[in-house]
Amino acid sequence: MASDRKSPPTSALEWIAAGLGLAGLLFVVAVIGREALTGETAQLPVLEVRAERVLPNAAGFVVEFEVVNRSSGTAAAVEIEGQIGPEANPVETSSATLDYVAGDASAKGGLFFKHDPRGQRLALRALGFQTP
Amino acid sequence: MTALRPNLDFAYSLARAFGGAIIFGLPLLMTMEMWSIGLYVHPLRLLLFIAANFVVLVFLSRFGGFERTANLREDMLDAFAAYAVGMISSVAILCLFGLLSRGTALDELVGMVAIQAVPGSFGAMIARKQLTGGDPDEGEDEDEAKAARSAGYAGQLFLMLAGALFLAFNVAPTEEMILIAYKMNPWQILLLMLASMLLLHILVFAVGFAGQEEPEGFGIVRRFLLFTVPGYAIALAVSFYVLWTFGRVDGNAFAVIAETMVVLGFPAAIGAAIARLVV
Repeated sequence: MASDRKSPPTSALEWIAAGLGLAGLLFVVAVIGREALTGETAQLPVLEVRAERVLPNAAGFVVEFEVVNRSSGTAAAVEIEGQIGPEANPVETSSATLDYVAGDASAKGGLFFKHDPRGQRLALRALGFQTP
Repeated sequence: MTALRPNLDFAYSLARAFGGAIIFGLPLLMTMEMWSIGLYVHPLRLLLFIAANFVVLVFLSRFGGFERTANLREDMLDAFAAYAVGMISSVAILCLFGLLSRGTALDELVGMVAIQAVPGSFGAMIARKQLTGGDPDEGEDEDEAKAARSAGYAGQLFLMLAGALFLAFNVAPTEEMILIAYKMNPWQILLLMLASMLLLHILVFAVGFAGQEEPEGFGIVRRFLLFTVPGYAIALAVSFYVLWTFGRVDGNAFAVIAETMVVLGFPAAIGAAIARLVV
């Protein structure tokens, strides 16, 4: 019985703010709910590594690469290895670790080499990952 | 009075809410683990956590949210608005930090924002109390004191829960929680429990509960049993809930879980004790 309290009128701006919040919440619930229903997080990541650019730097060369995750499962602590030279007898091997590559997303990194990878066989691959 | 007046008032409240969302959201917006935690958390647990946050927001709105409320409908509206403020400020700051790009997947973005909006919405909700100097609207604090009084014992405990949830959530995402638990020996854990309860007791009765008119001669034992013990139990339960939400209890031994709960229970207990101060 709080009849002595004057209740402030609900302003138009308040309805807009509340509506925005409700819309945002529904969107979040829909996206996460879909994930929950389809069990997408249980999928294993599918990682594709490709070289983007090769640039010389002070200590030699750097190969910029991009890791694309083709699955919806997230990979953490992704180790990337790059090899130059013939497969049987590689000239040089380098590796880098990415914190994580989210599902259906990509991440970039770089590998350092002493030798020039240009004009040679350059093989990039993901060695492994940690399940988050 | 023109028709613009309530809109203008609410605009000021919103501006303060954004301030609160940024202050309370920043520590977690700048925590590395939080950027990817939306991806790791089990989706159903995340949804449950968002729902729990919403219930807490509705409750906080009654105890002095960003504007004066008279009924449940207004509390719900304010909770939605607080969540909107939390989400918008999270997206804006994450963009500003360069953590969101076009390469970010939708699931990743939603997971990130949904969880970052939790501390943001909390800050938005309690901004009025924190960011206003002298409120020209007199009698308002009296209204809240009245609301606190009418909520009674259960309301006080719920307020403790909200405070515990906020502080526990602020530190729980980091790896350090488990690391600290590993570093401590069982005696230190027991000592930490004792210290948590002692601090909780001292803070609760130094700060005092607003609107709580306790009869004189309320013995220290009774106060301890009525507020400190349940308060610490709430802090531990909240710690477990937060750890479970973040998947920190899965696959761990029972003893390790209990130790981590006590470690996280320390900030949770302090949050429970000072809830009355910040809200």
